[in-house]
Amino acid sequence: MAYIDIENVSFCYPGQSRFVLRDINLRIYKEGVTAVTGANGSGKTTFSKLLIGLLKPVKGRIQLNGKLLSSLTLAQIGRQIGYVFQNPDKQLFCETVEEEIAFGVRNLGLPPERVTQKVREVMDYFELSRYAQAYPLSLSAGEKRRLALAAVFALEPGLLLLDEPTTGLDPYRKQLLGDYLDKLVAANRGVVVISHDQKFIDRYATRLLRLEDGQFIEE
Amino acid sequence: MTGLDPRTKIVMIICLSTLAVFLNEPWPLLLLFILTLVILLIMRINFFRIIMRFKKLLPLLLLMLIIQSVFSAGGDVLLSFQGVNILTTNGINTSLCILFRLLTFFSSAMIIMTSHSRDYVLALVQLKIPYEIAFMVLVSLRFLPVFIEEIKDTLVAMQLRGVDLQRIPWRQKIKFYTHLFAPLLSRVMLKAHQLAIAMEARAFRVYRRRTYLRLLHYSAKDYVAMVFFITATIAVLAQDFLY
Repeated sequence: MAYIDIENVSFCYPGQSRFVLRDINLRIYKEGVTAVTGANGSGKTTFSKLLIGLLKPVKGRIQLNGKLLSSLTLAQIGRQIGYVFQNPDKQLFCETVEEEIAFGVRNLGLPPERVTQKVREVMDYFELSRYAQAYPLSLSAGEKRRLALAAVFALEPGLLLLDEPTTGLDPYRKQLLGDYLDKLVAANRGVVVISHDQKFIDRYATRLLRLEDGQFIEE
Repeated sequence: MTGLDPRTKIVMIICLSTLAVFLNEPWPLLLLFILTLVILLIMRINFFRIIMRFKKLLPLLLLMLIIQSVFSAGGDVLLSFQGVNILTTNGINTSLCILFRLLTFFSSAMIIMTSHSRDYVLALVQLKIPYEIAFMVLVSLRFLPVFIEEIKDTLVAMQLRGVDLQRIPWRQKIKFYTHLFAPLLSRVMLKAHQLAIAMEARAFRVYRRRTYLRLLHYSAKDYVAMVFFITATIAVLAQDFLY
């Protein structure tokens, strides 16, 4: 069964006549790495915002795990889809790096000692331990991106949705990210990557979708 | 009236707001509000469409009016409970005054929307306000929607990490809202710093004397509008003080 089922979805921004997305029919499964590419302004980020319910389709419907997306709250969607924004600054709001990662994990209702352990594991993996008490917005661009990824990864959602995740990452950290994606896939989780990074896509993607003139072309 | 000089519009707003502050009776304030609405109508601004954007604040306004009405003693008692006056004519008068005053403030401020923000910088400079201060006014207006957008993004990010803001109790909700201030303040400082660097890189304040491609000029209708508003304001205030 598809994890996300998109049926005849069209979208245009209010007050505009041009449809950014037209009659999209797509199934996204909880497996492999799906890469979404397309030219600037082709609607990739709009598509990602539709997938997490930030935007509502003007036509058609989206189902997440068998439930209509419009019937779920953002919190319910967030527990099933981990979304990493194109600009990580927008999703960092805690006083310390440690707190930033712990914020979502605490909302999962885990016992305190499990939360601490989980936070430590994630910080170690993303090499953020030495910044544990640093203010998130004072980190460098690459570190902020790693922190945004770490905060979402810690929630272990069924599907990860990453908008331009390799921007600002050095080759070593790109590989680290790719390896983590491989691990997630091995653990029966799906990943959707919106990216222009052709090398990264070639190396890790198992399915490639190109957005052109408001429609997807599967390659 | 849309073609008025921005300086004339600033004078109009100051006159209307001054009258709204000094008038203390519901009827004159209602007339002032109606006059402001007529001005907005002539300037083709849809007041009701804009005010509907603030509909979430309406319960707060209603609560404020009720509190004012209850705590303003005097006049005839219309409603009392166990000897405590709940509603008096004085209380109703006070809350109506506040309502019309707020509406006049809101609506007169909308006049500002009829000119481009660049024109207000020019207007302030020609009113002998230092360019740096005029520019700061422009920047603050320009960045206000950006910060509102950032607050929305942070709220979305919090919800996507499992916080159900619609369902959690108020006390917890307030705790989560405190998370908004630190990043917002930090981003404001960062943006201000980046803007300062970008402006200095483009030679901002290199020369003390600035020249402008376009200058604002008063027309006959500006003089008519200014004379009318200033005279009317002084006359109303004088009458208010004398009698």
